[in-house]
Amino acid sequence: MSSDATPPETPGPEATGKPCRLHPQSMCPAFGSLRILTRIEGAHPVMATDTGCLYGLTFVTHFYGARKSILAAHLGTEELMAGQVVENTRAAIEVAAKEPGCKLIPVVSLCVAETAGLPEEMLPKQIGEAEVVLVRVPAYAIHSHPEAKDVALAALLRRLGETDGPRDAKTVALLGEVFPADPLVIDGVLRQMGVTGTIALPGRSLDDLRRVGRVGAVAPLHPFYKETVSLFRSWSIPVVGGAPVGASGSYAWLKAIGTLLELDPALVTQVAEAERERAQALLNAQPLSGRILVTGYEGSEVAYARLLVEAGAEVPYVSTSIGADPLTIPDEMWLKARGTKEVVYRKTLEDDVAALDAYAPDLVLGTTPFASIAKERGIPALYFTNQLASRPFFLSAGMGATLGFIQQMLARDASYQWMHEFFTLESAQ
Amino acid sequence: MSRIIRDIPDTSSYWAAVWAICPMPDVHVICDAPIGCFNLVATAVPDYTDAVPHIENITPSVITEAEVGGSGTAEAVKRTYEGLRDEGLLAGKHLIVISTAESEMIGSDLSDLVTRLQPGTTFYHSESLTEDEWAGRDRVLQWLWDNYGAAAASDVEVEPGLVNIIGPTYGCFNSTSDLHEVRRLIEGAGGRVNVIFPMQTRLSDIAQLAKAQINVVLYKEFGHTLADSLGQPWLHAPMGMRQTNAFVRQLGEWLGTSEQAAAFIKHEKATTLQAVWDLWRGPQSDWFPTTTIGFVATRTYVEGLTAYLGEELGMPITLSVARPRRPDDLDNDALRKQLHDRPPTFVFGSINEKIYLAEGGARMTNFIPASFPGPIVRRSVGTPFMGYRGTVYIVQEIVNRLYEALFTFLPLDTAYQKAPAGFGPPAANGQKTTGPAPGNLPWQAEAKAMLDDALEKMPFLARISASRELQMKVEGAAQQRGLKEVTAELAAEILAAPSK
Repeated sequence: MSSDATPPETPGPEATGKPCRLHPQSMCPAFGSLRILTRIEGAHPVMATDTGCLYGLTFVTHFYGARKSILAAHLGTEELMAGQVVENTRAAIEVAAKEPGCKLIPVVSLCVAETAGLPEEMLPKQIGEAEVVLVRVPAYAIHSHPEAKDVALAALLRRLGETDGPRDAKTVALLGEVFPADPLVIDGVLRQMGVTGTIALPGRSLDDLRRVGRVGAVAPLHPFYKETVSLFRSWSIPVVGGAPVGASGSYAWLKAIGTLLELDPALVTQVAEAERERAQALLNAQPLSGRILVTGYEGSEVAYARLLVEAGAEVPYVSTSIGADPLTIPDEMWLKARGTKEVVYRKTLEDDVAALDAYAPDLVLGTTPFASIAKERGIPALYFTNQLASRPFFLSAGMGATLGFIQQMLARDASYQWMHEFFTLESAQ
Repeated sequence: MSRIIRDIPDTSSYWAAVWAICPMPDVHVICDAPIGCFNLVATAVPDYTDAVPHIENITPSVITEAEVGGSGTAEAVKRTYEGLRDEGLLAGKHLIVISTAESEMIGSDLSDLVTRLQPGTTFYHSESLTEDEWAGRDRVLQWLWDNYGAAAASDVEVEPGLVNIIGPTYGCFNSTSDLHEVRRLIEGAGGRVNVIFPMQTRLSDIAQLAKAQINVVLYKEFGHTLADSLGQPWLHAPMGMRQTNAFVRQLGEWLGTSEQAAAFIKHEKATTLQAVWDLWRGPQSDWFPTTTIGFVATRTYVEGLTAYLGEELGMPITLSVARPRRPDDLDNDALRKQLHDRPPTFVFGSINEKIYLAEGGARMTNFIPASFPGPIVRRSVGTPFMGYRGTVYIVQEIVNRLYEALFTFLPLDTAYQKAPAGFGPPAANGQKTTGPAPGNLPWQAEAKAMLDDALEKMPFLARISASRELQMKVEGAAQQRGLKEVTAELAAEILAAPSK
């Protein structure tokens, strides 16, 4: 122990090429699962975790997820020593079951409970009218919050997905938390090609989780639903690659669905071409010029970068919290063929700051720590999660809102510069 | 007995440690944490409690499956330390390693490891599986004094006239304003502020705490252990006029500045507090005896608001729950039920109470943020709850919200809600708006009793307007269905429908 008033000397930074990766960027991974689970009508989650974790996750869930009371097993030293993890979790499940309209009790098991052990067979599968579904999302094993969305959705579908009975061969399941208008627009375009219906997941309806087991194809709009996608594969439901993003992406995606569902090829081509033309017209009407770093932690960054590049922006660097996966490869290849120099998975703050140093961007779409660093330098910057992930994006109908917003941000350079000078230069007044 | 938690109001002592240590700029913290415990405490939550973009002087060891699976966290912490050192982030910094619930869960004790890191590095075992944030803050402040202040303090002489303020840390509701006001009171009483610990202190300056003649502890929840250790007279920060008078007088007495303190109180009465006197003499205070209030907040706030709004202004308190909760306080299940069934007109609380009010459709109740959890910006110095300015701010807030409630229930011609877009608000989704019924329909006695019961649950102030509105709503429905009188069944159905 030291009571020395002066801190010791520390050696300075060593000359190394790559930044030291110290601050990984993701919301607490478990948040992704809670966001999905609390938004389902009739779902009353029970959490198994320590009090600090519970406080933080409840806080962000009440900010971003739902106005929903959240129950938990008390797991302190006393309970852990006495081996009461299961007992207290079961007690919380019983209280949750008494909530009005309770149909689903997701049991969200986090770091401490997972380390102590929470055997699934010790929990009820059903209580009253409610299904009890265990969702294991320890932060130490999941690494990013988008991937926890996948874990939660897969857990729900494994229990609830109904695969018996006839397939609705001409229907499509859309996977991904997107702006609410996007699935409606996608549904409208798909119906023009002969699709008879879509189901958007994760959503608010338990019935959707049940009937999605009989769709004709599944289309992950975001590239991190790997466990969910493999579940669909195990149900012999084919998977549509890519996403309806921008002109070329939308065209390819619509064509792929046409092929998978064996729709009328002439009609599909006609609809896909019309959509491509509308998208191209929009891209031509509001071209972007400027250099943008796309560095959120939502797992959808690569698709956003793709749209921005199609619209004329230069995107030298993209980073995300999720790990590399076959689902991310097509967009990564597409970007790299069009000038993107780096696509970083499981990124850290240090990776992003190094890119800020290297590329001198005109606009940064980032995490809150990174966006604040860019703003300190007078560069326009936004928290990707709050501003991008919450706007229409897909197909020609969605892209206009996103592109218009980016264009507006690129024109706001002066106020960022003034703030930077005022707050960081002592002489500025 | 199994224990469960509904909507946890207090976080853990790990958070307390980070939020008490990181405000000091000459510290760097390594939290022995998985990514989530780092993100929530350092970015996701302080974004919305303290309005800071992120806490910069903290780095996680990033516990993964390997560490949990048996390798322990020592290597990860060492690797993190080396990275920080190599990046130059430890230059001029004291290094403190803090345990988390998960590192404690896997039994990671790093008190030996820290002796092999940068000289002077310490390990703080946060007891995160046992203690809440309040006990945690109290203990970590004492630990900081023991390890970084006490020894050097033996050379420090007490300087008459100096006063320390102990608290706030990050995550203390409304601390910017309360601190500002308490500082103003100390100076008004004739004191000079020495150290504001930990929020405006450097770790290297902790020994300076010994210089003060008096300590003011901002909160009842923590800081008292340290105040006792410092050995000088101390007192809690005040709320309400009577406590504030006593606070200023006591300071004046201890400081030998009683005359200045008395002059300050006199001047405050003629300036700041005139607003309270004017509102008391005006029509506003007439509402107080019939306007019910409830508090769910720290004990500091609950006791302070009880003294001011309850005893000094005479408002009826129908709900009072303090944090940290004592065994005889309502638990959140009982609290939730009360807010569903019979909410007071004003609820001072956290987002949990706000959610319960929303669940219960309590649109007549005014929610006033007074506690974490819940996102809020409180960085202005103009919203104190403490001291003289606090009395003005709180009463002003209450009266303005009463005005707002009155406005909300004044009649508005329903025609505006039917007008096409571009003129007035659109009609509520899917709901046919009904104008006033031509003449009253007869009500069955049972139906009338239900209406009375519904009104009884409403705050007094809104009852006149609300009674007309509910009556119109039920009668409108009766007419739509061609009923000749309001039946008990219809009243039950319409009154049970959630309000917009």
